[in-house]
Amino acid sequence: MFLICSCPARAQDVVSTTEQLIADIFEQYTAESDDAIDYDTFYEDLLLCAQSPINLNKTSREELERLPFLSDIQIENILFYVYKSGPMKTIYELQLINGLDMTDIRRMLPFVLIGEADKSKQKIYWSDLLKHGKNELDFRLDKALETKDGYQSLSQEETNLTQSNANNYLGNDIYNSLKYRFYYKDRVLAGFTAEKDAGEQFWGSAHKGYDFYSFHAQLNNFGKFKTIVVGDFRANFGQGLVLHPDFGMGKSSYVLNVSSRNSGLKRYSSTDESNFFRGGGATVRVGKFDLSAFYSNKMIDGDTVNGSFSTIIKTGYHRTADELSKKHTVNQQILGANATYTNMNLQLGVTLVHTLLNNRLILDKSVYNHFYFSGKKQTTAGAFYRYRWKKINLFGEVAVTDNGGTATLNGCYFSPISQVNLVVLHRYYSPEYDTFYASSFSATSRMNNEQGFYLGAEVRPFRKWKFAAYADSYQFPWPKYGVDAPSVGKDYLFQADFAARRNISMFWRFKFEEKQTNLSNTGTVMPVVVPLQKASLRYQLMYSHGNFSFKNLLEGNLSRQGDADWTYGVIASQDVSYDFKTVPLKIDFRYQFFDAVNYENRFYSYERDVLYAFSIPMYFGLGNRYYLNLRYDLSKRLSLWFKIAQTVYADDRETLSSGNETISGNKKTDARLMLKWEF
Amino acid sequence: MITCSIILIFELMLLCLRILCQQNVEDYEKNHFHAHNCCFCQFLHSQISNIIPSSNSVAQTSVADSHNWTAFNNPAMLGYVVNPELGLEYENRYLVSELSTKSFQFALPSSLINSGLSFSHFGYSLYHEMLIGLGFARNFSDKFAMGVQFNYYTAFFTASNSYRGAFLPQIGLSVKLSPNFSFGFHSFNPFQTNINTKNVMKRIPSIFSLGTEHFFAPELVWRTQIDKEVSSNYRFASGFEYKMLQSFNVKLGAYGSGYLVPCLGFGFNLGAFLVDLNCEFHPLLGLNTLAAVKYKFGK
Repeated sequence: MFLICSCPARAQDVVSTTEQLIADIFEQYTAESDDAIDYDTFYEDLLLCAQSPINLNKTSREELERLPFLSDIQIENILFYVYKSGPMKTIYELQLINGLDMTDIRRMLPFVLIGEADKSKQKIYWSDLLKHGKNELDFRLDKALETKDGYQSLSQEETNLTQSNANNYLGNDIYNSLKYRFYYKDRVLAGFTAEKDAGEQFWGSAHKGYDFYSFHAQLNNFGKFKTIVVGDFRANFGQGLVLHPDFGMGKSSYVLNVSSRNSGLKRYSSTDESNFFRGGGATVRVGKFDLSAFYSNKMIDGDTVNGSFSTIIKTGYHRTADELSKKHTVNQQILGANATYTNMNLQLGVTLVHTLLNNRLILDKSVYNHFYFSGKKQTTAGAFYRYRWKKINLFGEVAVTDNGGTATLNGCYFSPISQVNLVVLHRYYSPEYDTFYASSFSATSRMNNEQGFYLGAEVRPFRKWKFAAYADSYQFPWPKYGVDAPSVGKDYLFQADFAARRNISMFWRFKFEEKQTNLSNTGTVMPVVVPLQKASLRYQLMYSHGNFSFKNLLEGNLSRQGDADWTYGVIASQDVSYDFKTVPLKIDFRYQFFDAVNYENRFYSYERDVLYAFSIPMYFGLGNRYYLNLRYDLSKRLSLWFKIAQTVYADDRETLSSGNETISGNKKTDARLMLKWEF
Repeated sequence: MITCSIILIFELMLLCLRILCQQNVEDYEKNHFHAHNCCFCQFLHSQISNIIPSSNSVAQTSVADSHNWTAFNNPAMLGYVVNPELGLEYENRYLVSELSTKSFQFALPSSLINSGLSFSHFGYSLYHEMLIGLGFARNFSDKFAMGVQFNYYTAFFTASNSYRGAFLPQIGLSVKLSPNFSFGFHSFNPFQTNINTKNVMKRIPSIFSLGTEHFFAPELVWRTQIDKEVSSNYRFASGFEYKMLQSFNVKLGAYGSGYLVPCLGFGFNLGAFLVDLNCEFHPLLGLNTLAAVKYKFGK
């Protein structure tokens, strides 16, 4: 009873704001993941969910899948509870659902509510849109305080663009983005984004205006239409073998979350300049079928010469004359369709995508890319399933490309008792399978030339304790980039979480990874690959006291290649946050020390940032870093964020980074300013 | 008191066994031993324990598996056998019949002590190994069990067209710390008995194992195990076994020893017959399959 009564209070204590909660969830995802995850989309989706919470009494699997921290088993258990026991009377009933512990419930609280079970749709009226619709305008500026080499050349040459400085930055060193958002519940969503990266010219001879513009509008549950989307959007279907430009589920400390979410068509509002579609699409619900179709037509970057190109460039940087010359040189059209059947225990679907390029992609042939896609058009088709039988959830997808490449992923969630959850997943992606927007469970970011088994387990043997572990064994039957022979690898992770009291929690995380890499300087004709091993141990402690909250991190790692000696890395940090009660100000401060002997001992460390930004800087060498992050609410509608961070290296290096990004000295300082206006 | 008794019994056992195993067999064949298994020499070098049948416990976590006695695995588990039982097992390594292990086991419980007879065969006509063992074990008030087994190992040397062998022991212990948690210890060939010839030594595996067993619920058990074969890497294994239905259980686990090997298995309880089908997926060598059938008398 005490637990039930204290539930909401704890949520307030441990994570004081929804924003912080989202950041913490994201940190868990990225902590052990090598993939770059689009934080904008992740954050916006969850923030929208917090602003229009999910009504647990009339929710669906698809809706609950918007909460990435919930495992498939937990989602099934929530739906099963409501189905079996009828509508929930109070949020405290969450504690009665198998597989949900207090940590999960605390995370859910900002995003769910208990409402009427009435499933009838409400009409959308213009007057409601005008009266209850919410608007948000965001303005962000970033600036590095040290001058990088790319800008120094610009100041010397002034604005005279000559061949000699064709590779220097054309614009100033300020990053700027402008975002406008409109939303009415989760029914009507619209927005506009404009962005200029540091180094890109805002107004000059080479370019005028922002470098990247994006617009979107989305209607949900509008008559027969489940979704209508216009402008920039994404389409995610099945396990992601055919289409999943959104971030996919991969290996993380959420060991059970390995199957991609079938979120269908959704607006795109991020500043990532490559991973989206531009056009329109719609999903119609006919009985138990969802029928979707979409069309995209957009320009992408490529090193086009004489009607062909060898590389699709996804960085989104257009800072130099050379980079600008590759901007939007290829037209990409995508036509796709999906049909999904869903009933209580079964989901079946098929997806078909046809991609057409106006220029031919001709790769610079090498052994590793022998099977990569070349040509002007590609058709990919896939079928996926999900089936619940007793305590077992089966899921999977099989896909094929028109060149005969095949890919399949199959897995099973299994919850024999409420304290134990297991998952097993097998994937096989043939070397010939290479498609544009696939993203699913994989040991690398590219979804081909891989097969492997993944086992994950989450066990709650005692109150306050949770143990999570995974083991992944994989192989690459064909050489891949950086490894000139077929290779194998394995990963293990073990994490123990302990929630000592309502304001103290901690975890220990051990990770071991072994993969094969080329041995350099061997002097042999035949490739020599050797194992690269890395083991790391992290301890993290989070506690709060009054308006203060603290976080301590201590992590060490060991790494070696082949029979070489082990090298080490150590990182330690102290975070202090203070939330002023008398003034609308919140301060985050961190001091961090790191000592990583070489690149293989590098650390990625999440740090607090301004709204919609997320920093996971990488460190190696000897040095320290500190930052100050402020949030000040100027009024009820206007908020300001400011962050300044500095890294100081103590290992006698005289320059940082390389090329145009080179900084003279041993310090790197970044400042960020963000304004949000809600109206 | 219990601890003292255990140590005393063990000391006595070890003394007897050490006397039995002093004689190593000589052989003057040296040049052909490796030639006959050159196709799999690398495999055999790293996997010298093929003659020991793999347990049908998940991920071969047999050392603390108090519900299952497997031939040449922890003999203490023989002490928990209630009814006489007869078992056959066939393990096909990586779909190569020449690498298969066939084994037989028979257990006969009694009020004083439980006895077991085991036999195992690995290889093919040109190269094969055999192992036969007689084991004894006792369950002490369901708190702990101890077992010992006396084995004779023999290998066929083609060049001389003859067998050479050696006696070797194995000992085991199982301790139930609570109704739900127990641990087990097992040593196979603890004195590193080998077959020595004038010019070559045929190594017999010498394995030390330690493991745990935890029942989350009567239908779900979690086991872990660490093995050390004296000349090989440590092997770490863990897995879950879940009785989904009264007559059907699922096993899911993995072990790591150089490579990470996922393991999946199914067990069928068909009255007096117990059938197990296990498979392992070695990332380099491929699929390893095992089928075992056991008949329990009097059930």
